[in-house]
Amino acid sequence: MDDVSVIHIILAGDTEKFRILVEQYQQMVFRTCMGFLHNKDDADDLAQEVFIQAYQSLSRFKGESAFSTWLYRIAVNACLNKTRKSSGKVFLQRLDEIMNSASVGIKAIPYAENEDPEKILIRQEHVEWVQKALDSLPENQRTAIILSKYDELSQKEIADILNTTEGAVEALLQRAKKSLREKLSYKNKKNKIRRRKKISFVSNHKIN
Amino acid sequence: MNCQLCQEKFEEYHEGRLPSGTKTQVDAHLGICRKCAESYRLFTLAERVISSEKSVMSNPFLTTRIMTGIEKSDVPVHETETSFRRILKPVLVTIALAAAIIYGIMAGNIYQPERSRNTIPVELALINDAAIESVGILTNE
Repeated sequence: MDDVSVIHIILAGDTEKFRILVEQYQQMVFRTCMGFLHNKDDADDLAQEVFIQAYQSLSRFKGESAFSTWLYRIAVNACLNKTRKSSGKVFLQRLDEIMNSASVGIKAIPYAENEDPEKILIRQEHVEWVQKALDSLPENQRTAIILSKYDELSQKEIADILNTTEGAVEALLQRAKKSLREKLSYKNKKNKIRRRKKISFVSNHKIN
Repeated sequence: MNCQLCQEKFEEYHEGRLPSGTKTQVDAHLGICRKCAESYRLFTLAERVISSEKSVMSNPFLTTRIMTGIEKSDVPVHETETSFRRILKPVLVTIALAAAIIYGIMAGNIYQPERSRNTIPVELALINDAAIESVGILTNE
């Protein structure tokens, strides 16, 4: 049964059939949310909100685009709204992450149990660099790169979701990738300088 | 191969999608250019972070949570709130409010309070005030 037929059944009153759509698209919506929020619990909560929102406005789905495209639009808007709202709460979030070590997002790269703690720390620092670099991109570039990298969508599919042309998406992706490279290089340079300062401070301290 | 061209090829190079000739050129450039080699290292780092976030699975109970949320949601899906209704509702409320205010003003203007029936008797009206003697003068006498 295709998506449109399922939607017709749901609109006729069999709301339980919405489960079919949820099961089919749950991971897709979750991945998009993860790309924007970098935290499993937050992504779960937002994915739930996205599906409830989609359910409530299902009667407005005209079938002009694929259901997945329509759902992606809702998900992207919800993610952007969420990140806009939480941008003012960054400090509190960071504090929460430090206090609550069980937070999933920050340990995104798995590590071996007997791995050097310093290496783990450096790795976590790198994860933060990438997440921050992604978050600091302009909204349209961030959306394009998340849909491309996390959801592995083609430029045509991204163009449909963003209501733009393939050429515009290509340009967005190129700018986003270049910007990411520059931001990561800058972070890396800054970090090297910081390390050098630390080392010189320690060696001076030893001599004295 | 220059640095810019090399960096543009990172994605294809990383995914093994480059033709062998171009791949050799990128290999050679990364071997001699420290800046591009460092940039490629950071690129692979970003790819690793993204792929590890991508591999995180959603909560296994997410579907149940969503379906419970839907049951609790106030707006049933088949109750179609058309855009017409959404626009018309506030317009109607505004019109009703304006009509109530206008009616209030008009009713206020139409209303005439009942005139007092305690009018001055004709006898009193005929009294000449100038002819009345002061009480003070009368007591002095």
